[in-house]
Amino acid sequence: MPAYYLEIIVVVLGLTVLMVETFVSLRDKRSLGWLAILGLLVVLVLNFTVVETGGEGGNTPFWSFYVMDIPAQWFKGLALLATIFVILMSVDFSRVLSKGICPEVEDDGVDDCAENQVALSEFFALPIFICAGMMWMASAHHLVSIFVALETVTIGFYVIVAFMRRNVGSLEAGVKYLILGALSTGFLVYGFAWLFGVTGEMELGAIADALNAPDVHRTGALFAFALILIALCFKIGAVPFQIWIPDVYQGAPMPVTAFLSVGSKAAGFVILLRLLEPFMASEMLNANVTSVLVIIAAATILFGNLAALPQTNFKRLLAYSSVSHAGFLLMAVASAPAHPGVVSPVAAVSYYLAAYLMMTMLAFLIMNLIRVQRGDENLEAYKGLAKSSPFLAFAMLVAMASLAGVPLTAGFVGKFWVFVLALQEKHYYLVAFGVIGAAAGFYYYLKIVKSMYWDSPADAGSSAAVPVVVAWPTRIAIVLLVVGVFYFGVNPGALLSLFL
Amino acid sequence: MTDNYEAVLLQFLLAGGFAGVTLLISVLLGQRARRNKLKDSAYECGMLPVGEGQSRFSVKFYLVAMLFVLFDIEVVFFYPWAVVFRDLMEDAETKMFFWSMLSFAGILFVAYLYALKKGALDWKPRH
Amino acid sequence: MEEQNLPWIILLLPLLSAVSILLFTRRSGNISALISTGSALITLLLGVVLLRMPDDAVVAAFPWLNLSSNFVVEIGFQIDQLSRGMMFVVTAIGAAVHVFSLAYMKDDEGKARYFAGLSFFMFSMTGIVFANNFVMMFVFWELVGFSSYVLIGHWFEKNSAADAAKKAFLTNRIGDFGFMIGILLVWGLTKSIYFTQIASEVVDEQVLEGVSNGLLMAMVLCVFCGAIGKSAQVPLHVWLPDAMEGPTPVSALIHAATMVAAGVYMLARISFLIPMSAGAGEVIAWIGAITALIAALMALQQDDIKRILAYSTLSQLGYMVMAVGIHAADAAMFHLFTHAFFKALLFLGSGAVIYACHHEQNIWKMGGLAKKMPITFVTFVIGTAALMGLPFVTSGFFSKEAILGAALHGHKALFVIAAFIVLLTAFYMTRLIVVAFLGKDRSDNAAKAKEVPALMWVPLVLLAVPSVVAGYEFFYKGMKLSPMSPAHEGPVNVWLIVISAAMLVFGIGMAFWGYRGESTEPMRLNRIAQVFAHKFYIDEAYAWLIKVFQDGLAAFTNFFDRAVLDGVIARLPAAGAFRLGSVMRRLQSGNLQSYGFLFGLGAVLIIYLVVFK
Repeated sequence: MPAYYLEIIVVVLGLTVLMVETFVSLRDKRSLGWLAILGLLVVLVLNFTVVETGGEGGNTPFWSFYVMDIPAQWFKGLALLATIFVILMSVDFSRVLSKGICPEVEDDGVDDCAENQVALSEFFALPIFICAGMMWMASAHHLVSIFVALETVTIGFYVIVAFMRRNVGSLEAGVKYLILGALSTGFLVYGFAWLFGVTGEMELGAIADALNAPDVHRTGALFAFALILIALCFKIGAVPFQIWIPDVYQGAPMPVTAFLSVGSKAAGFVILLRLLEPFMASEMLNANVTSVLVIIAAATILFGNLAALPQTNFKRLLAYSSVSHAGFLLMAVASAPAHPGVVSPVAAVSYYLAAYLMMTMLAFLIMNLIRVQRGDENLEAYKGLAKSSPFLAFAMLVAMASLAGVPLTAGFVGKFWVFVLALQEKHYYLVAFGVIGAAAGFYYYLKIVKSMYWDSPADAGSSAAVPVVVAWPTRIAIVLLVVGVFYFGVNPGALLSLFL
Repeated sequence: MTDNYEAVLLQFLLAGGFAGVTLLISVLLGQRARRNKLKDSAYECGMLPVGEGQSRFSVKFYLVAMLFVLFDIEVVFFYPWAVVFRDLMEDAETKMFFWSMLSFAGILFVAYLYALKKGALDWKPRH
Repeated sequence: MEEQNLPWIILLLPLLSAVSILLFTRRSGNISALISTGSALITLLLGVVLLRMPDDAVVAAFPWLNLSSNFVVEIGFQIDQLSRGMMFVVTAIGAAVHVFSLAYMKDDEGKARYFAGLSFFMFSMTGIVFANNFVMMFVFWELVGFSSYVLIGHWFEKNSAADAAKKAFLTNRIGDFGFMIGILLVWGLTKSIYFTQIASEVVDEQVLEGVSNGLLMAMVLCVFCGAIGKSAQVPLHVWLPDAMEGPTPVSALIHAATMVAAGVYMLARISFLIPMSAGAGEVIAWIGAITALIAALMALQQDDIKRILAYSTLSQLGYMVMAVGIHAADAAMFHLFTHAFFKALLFLGSGAVIYACHHEQNIWKMGGLAKKMPITFVTFVIGTAALMGLPFVTSGFFSKEAILGAALHGHKALFVIAAFIVLLTAFYMTRLIVVAFLGKDRSDNAAKAKEVPALMWVPLVLLAVPSVVAGYEFFYKGMKLSPMSPAHEGPVNVWLIVISAAMLVFGIGMAFWGYRGESTEPMRLNRIAQVFAHKFYIDEAYAWLIKVFQDGLAAFTNFFDRAVLDGVIARLPAAGAFRLGSVMRRLQSGNLQSYGFLFGLGAVLIIYLVVFK
């Protein structure tokens, strides 16, 4: 099966969800969520069966737009997994969602809007379309297809970030994301235009050749790189373009925040890796490129970790944590490929993102449950969780340990490789910043563990003492993620061997 | 090199000429009416030229406008496609060309159905 | 079944059993017990099949930690006579103990937890036996420590059990820390962690040539530290007697036959390293001898039936370690092999006695059990005879002679000690039998005792057989059961037998004469006996030592911690980081226009950095 069938299937799946919503009246629209998850699981399985065609082998012009290699397959898998978890979360979230969409009911009139689960199906369908965009992005190898895929993702996000239209926070987040996102897209297109102007090519392989040629216009190429880097730094939330992240993460509906922090970030890094390759390969440009990446990485790690320290809102805290992880990922991106005996930056980034997906999704799944059932996103809500819901508390403990980078978790191995790469490159200052950041990370991640295990709820006898109900699909997802965090922490070779 | 700009010059002339000629024709053929303030103001697609900076429109306006733009774009894509259709269909390797456009139109059609069913084109509110 | 997968199955089956008990059948003790016992019996069967596996069999290893092309840690298997034989011992004793436990733990509340612990222990122990490299061995070494902790503390609601578990774990950790340093030293000096590779490099390529003897000695002794902890040698022997707080079958399995033998097994595995350093062997041998001697002395005055056996275990382990130290690892492993059977037998026998007497462990409150529990009595006597080394008819005799014979060649002082211990062993075991089984009952519990159910005495009988025949050549060699067979098989040294037999008779005679018909300890008030009874006051000395040093150290570290670490190193940067974080947070005004402005500023900055710098 050719690889691009995957995207087609995903798009058709999204359209199916929409059409079912349009023409069939369902008693409970959450079943559409299950349909979506099932469909995506099938695609996830198919993802392992696709053949690598393209590159030299492909014979139509199509293959200059689309490549299928190991990283592409890997990131397609990540996109699918992230979407599956997000839709799973959305099913749990549906009650809160209709509150954010429907007008307040006066007195005790029948709430038609909430009853009919208005707009719930769209909330399932949009992530599917975004997922198709991300999968396409993983394979994009041409400035045009990169741009189109990126916009498919971004526009989808504009909609779902502001999805709860009666919730001021969600609206505010949507507007901020839209305006700043449009700004960054502008930079991206401008950068592409410069790149095309300098090289006269749109296909990344041809661009690489052109940039390696001795007669390339150096300043022009660097200018193109700077503009593209600005846009991509925005997407991955690297300093100094991280400003939108805390507000948007906090305001967006919980599943969307999870999707933003995992899916959007992973997609940004795929594009960054693909676009960096020609610049890194060019001997004339690579010194400048590396040095600026190192500076950004250091600033991002420092900012993300230090600003997270005083946070009391858990969602916002994870927003800062996502910034800091972007910094660690940039550490790997900033290293040149090919060191004998060490993983390549692509492999390190891929591994890190997979680990990040597992631990972040784990945290969000639990946060989502707490948000829905206790109506609180602050750290306060987690006090004494170990007493009322030990299972969730333990899973959260695992997530936090992994995010902090405790050995034997996937998060540790991810950080480990990143540091190894930075040391190989002799980026000692960067490593020092990384160590400071990681140490600060321990503080705020373990703060949550502390409040779960050692603090007692502020007002005893309230909702805090009631166990949180976990539906079995969510429970399975949580167990799988916990096992995954440990398994890939103990046996990193299982994932890395794909890249060696 | 300057040859290339001849077309541009032609474009300018055409645009200016068209505007001038239509104005002239309206003066020549039009019935003289009594002037009033409203009639002297510029025509702006039915909008009042003077008013509040941030006037509010019904959200339906944007829905229709967006749908219009979407299908407008569809037509824009159809033209070049139709132009090269015969050439490309002769080559076996580019046979996919037909299906590409069909899937594009199909997706738009599904979206149209969705919009229709959701009442995007109902001008009056349902409730 | 692919033969190559056999070791994997033996390794993973107990893990599977433990995991499935913990995940699925935790509520039902009976099903859990059956699962665990079933897995133990199957592994015994597979362990027997494994004996036929050739030395050059290649078992697929699992590359576990792939840190770089020249440092790969495998979960790999070293299949040779040593591991095959040891595996037989572990699975055989394990199976017997599982079956025995079915009856012994019949009404226990935590039955499922208990059997999960047993299965997990079997998994860990198997890992040690099969390990083909130091790191894997260390990992499973720690897992054994953990499972032992769980099993000793099985009755954790009792303070003494919880304390004993903690003590065992911590004491083991001290030894393991040394072991870890030792492993690092080995890796540093030989650049390898694989046993076969190290062995060939050390012998053939002489990689250790030119390394100073001090460093080599440190390497060997640090590795030996692991054995000191696990095999409870002086000065870390203190945990083993306390570990008797655990259920008696656990004592039989872990604290007599397998876990404590792991130290000796490990020494045998790396015995090629010991001769590399002059003097290291001497140290090991003397530590073993001292352990054997003082443990035997302590055993003389214990009243608790399990503690007597515990000290006797210590003493026998000391024997084995001494044998390794004088480069007779073969004799040590042979003794380990025979000892495993008869000591497990003795422990399970004591378990039967304790069970029959309603959890009475004091031998002075027993008496006259021989008539009431004939099967237990007979098997217990067989075990005792084997432990004393009754000439020619018991397995213990042959293995002990092998050690004594090795000591006689050039280690006269050690030989004298070892021979003296034969006397002591005969003495305290005779005392145990005379007081507990003969005479008349001295308490209600003993009076009401009756023979234990078949589920308990069958394992006893089954263990009694190898306790007798394990020393015969057809058994250990013909059936390839023993991990190592004694090397010297020349003519039997008559003097050796005469001396040890004399010691034996002397010991038995003294004890029999001294304790017959007594109802309380006749030497209770004797000063020296007091010292023995109080285990040379070693626990008390440790407590004092720890108190003095630890309190002093604690006062100092407390000061250092508060003033320097907390104040200067932690608080100051923490406050700074917080302040910085707050400043950064202030950038986050929430105002979209200022965001747009910052975005533009950032863009200018990036363009400057990329293009113009």
